[in-house]
Amino acid sequence: MLGSVPTTPKSLEDYRPIIGDERTDEILRLGDQLRGARVLHVNATAFGGGVAEILGTMVPLMNDAGLDADWQVIKGADDFFNITKAMHNSLQGMYYDWTPEKRETWLDYNRMNAELFDGSYDFVIIHDPQPAPILSFLEQRTGERSGKWIWRCHIDLTDAQPPVWDLLRTYVERYDAAIFTLPDYVKDDLRGPQIFCVPPAIDPLSPKNMPLPAETVDQILERYSVDPRRPMITQISRFDPWKDPLGVIDVYRAVKAEVPDLQLVMVASMASDDPEAWDWYERTVRRAGEDYEIHVLSNLQGVGNLEVNAFQRAAKVVVQKSVREGFGLVVSEALWKARPVVAGNVGGIPLQIVNGKTGFLVNSTEECTEKVLFLLRNEKEAARMGERGAEYVRDNFLMTRYLRDYLRIFCQLSGREGAAPPHPIQAGRAPG
Amino acid sequence: MYGTLAIPQRALNALAEYVGDDDIDELRALARPLEGLRVLNLSVTGFGTGTASMLNSAIPLFTNLGLDCHWEVVRSSEDTLPVTRAMYQALAGTYVPWTREMTERWERYAAMNAGLLTEEFDIIVVHDPQPAAMRSYIDDGDGAKWLMHFHIDLSSAQEDVWRLLRPHLARYEAAVFEEESFGRADIGLPAHVVRPAIDPSNARNMPLPAEVIETVTCRYGIDCARPILCQVSPCDAASRLVEAIDVWAEVRRTHPGLQLVLLLMTDPQDPPARACYEEMARRAHEEPDVFVLSMGNDLGNTELNVLQRIAAVNMQRGLRKGYGLWISDALWKERPCVVAPEGGLTHQVIDRETGLVASSTGDFAGAVSRLLDEPAEAARMARRGHELVRREFMITRYLRDCLRVYGGLQRG
Repeated sequence: MLGSVPTTPKSLEDYRPIIGDERTDEILRLGDQLRGARVLHVNATAFGGGVAEILGTMVPLMNDAGLDADWQVIKGADDFFNITKAMHNSLQGMYYDWTPEKRETWLDYNRMNAELFDGSYDFVIIHDPQPAPILSFLEQRTGERSGKWIWRCHIDLTDAQPPVWDLLRTYVERYDAAIFTLPDYVKDDLRGPQIFCVPPAIDPLSPKNMPLPAETVDQILERYSVDPRRPMITQISRFDPWKDPLGVIDVYRAVKAEVPDLQLVMVASMASDDPEAWDWYERTVRRAGEDYEIHVLSNLQGVGNLEVNAFQRAAKVVVQKSVREGFGLVVSEALWKARPVVAGNVGGIPLQIVNGKTGFLVNSTEECTEKVLFLLRNEKEAARMGERGAEYVRDNFLMTRYLRDYLRIFCQLSGREGAAPPHPIQAGRAPG
Repeated sequence: MYGTLAIPQRALNALAEYVGDDDIDELRALARPLEGLRVLNLSVTGFGTGTASMLNSAIPLFTNLGLDCHWEVVRSSEDTLPVTRAMYQALAGTYVPWTREMTERWERYAAMNAGLLTEEFDIIVVHDPQPAAMRSYIDDGDGAKWLMHFHIDLSSAQEDVWRLLRPHLARYEAAVFEEESFGRADIGLPAHVVRPAIDPSNARNMPLPAEVIETVTCRYGIDCARPILCQVSPCDAASRLVEAIDVWAEVRRTHPGLQLVLLLMTDPQDPPARACYEEMARRAHEEPDVFVLSMGNDLGNTELNVLQRIAAVNMQRGLRKGYGLWISDALWKERPCVVAPEGGLTHQVIDRETGLVASSTGDFAGAVSRLLDEPAEAARMARRGHELVRREFMITRYLRDCLRVYGGLQRG
């Protein structure tokens, strides 16, 4: 057997006060139709990364809805994970020398994991490219397929390096279904599986998003020498060129010329094995100079999910000045806290922000400065935008919507009644 | 037994070009009575620390001198590494909260490592405090003589950690310190002084072809046509990185075009280092002529070699403890140096003889300016610095001192 990941039980009823009766009951109805269905999620890691974070909530919620869901991780050594990490990057457009040896290593580990695969399931969801060939090897071994197999792709394949995608595609084509995050991420040349589009979502009850008492927020700010009584803007994201941390400091400086008591909080998570991230940390701190109203923080100073939650809640405006982005779920996290957001018009961000209604989409430092200043000067309008943003997230980007989409897909694949399968939400749609 | 490190072949005679034949002959004479002496060196790591680099240089030469030298890295694990590190820091004078769990873990691993010692030796030299307690778990009957070789400055060791270590040293024959003032009067053992030394043929010091220098400076955008002020140091508060920037800023007023290179030898991501790093980077602001480089993945001893070599002046604005031996690396390259009067720095830089000693930022700025303005005088000092290192801080002198200690132990 592969390594099974234990999860903490969760109850859908805890979400009822947040999403209301109608949505809760729809999930319970779908759960009834699928009662007892055996579901297995397989991915590469139990800790760290967005996929593990989502599964930690999704798996217990599926169980609470009446299904029999499990989560297992594949086994691999450093050589395998080094290759899959590079593969991941090359599927997002980075050049990678995809040698026959690397290909063999990738396949060998998948063959081994297919050997370890046991049990039978109604639905097997394989997450991301790392374990994708397991299905083919399993069929070779047993000569048959049990249950419906779904490949869940969490990454943007638009600029995938052709040799890597071509190889991956031959394994993905064997699946019954494939789920992509956005319609734009679907590859035109993928034939075989039924295609669904399901965006990711946030858990409103996680430490990153749960409600916090105002005193806790103030205490956390004070612990990091941020003054809760003065206006503050924040950006929560890695220090790398795509998140434009230097541009954020430029925006802050321009706004501070008009709002002298403004503070800026930048929070990143730093991996110790990422020299590039450290390089960008240095650039960011040097751009900040000796203006200590710019707080450059990370996990190295103990900033975790709860602290991020507090900084987002305390911010007058949340900035996400990305110039390139995956889905950018951090935008939904900020909106859910009813904060007005000013964010780069890239990746999945336009899906989350209805420009001018739930926040602003911007394309330059000047535009970003202008919108931040507008929101600081028009508190009422800022509050209204924040409220509308939270409602938009409630409708579209909470984990319960994601759960519902999975259940609908299961119903459709197994020929049960179910409801209409999920369809991609449209950018710019007014909150409903 | 443990992690056995292979000992490469190395010919002592190759060092004659640096130190002369007489020194080599003296070493051979000293080593003759010790031929075949079985010496086990125990340390916590085989690379990445000053101690490991010393051993990497010295052990192959002891072998070439006819000793039967062995080097083992003691067994360790994820949960002992923080303890090892905390003990090292506490003994070197940085306060760490020491808990009973840490003591238990330390002693458990010492006992376990003692159980792995299966071969017989004449002398066992322990180079790190972490394996020091092994002695307490081994009978006297095996006949080996234990020597504790401290590569740290114990003069301000944290009291509770020192009291923990001391009883485990009781059955050692002797201790070695890098400097008399680095020792402890209450150690209760015969103490010897063996100063540290540099290796003229390792990556930090070997002569470099011009292409290597060009490649390295190009990679970081450093302009060799303009003067460079360089500080190599750990990333800690005592290295006074912010004040190093202030020195540069002051000197630059009269020497436009002066560049500053800060080469950090310790990981700036460790919690106390990170705060120092941030403060320094903020002071540096976006000055394009201030280069901050951290040793790690892509940056090692060759880069250190290049940067010291091309520097118009090498500086040590401050030093926490210990020797600061990288100043000898700079002097060996005949570069003028300005140092603070801390630790072992003034043994290497004798004021107005082999370089300049300064205390305040103003003094430093004055000293750096003087060396830039008077190149003939700077070159004279640098030459004398090179000579001082040849006499007092060469690996051959280190071997000689160690052989005398080993010989003394053998004679009992």
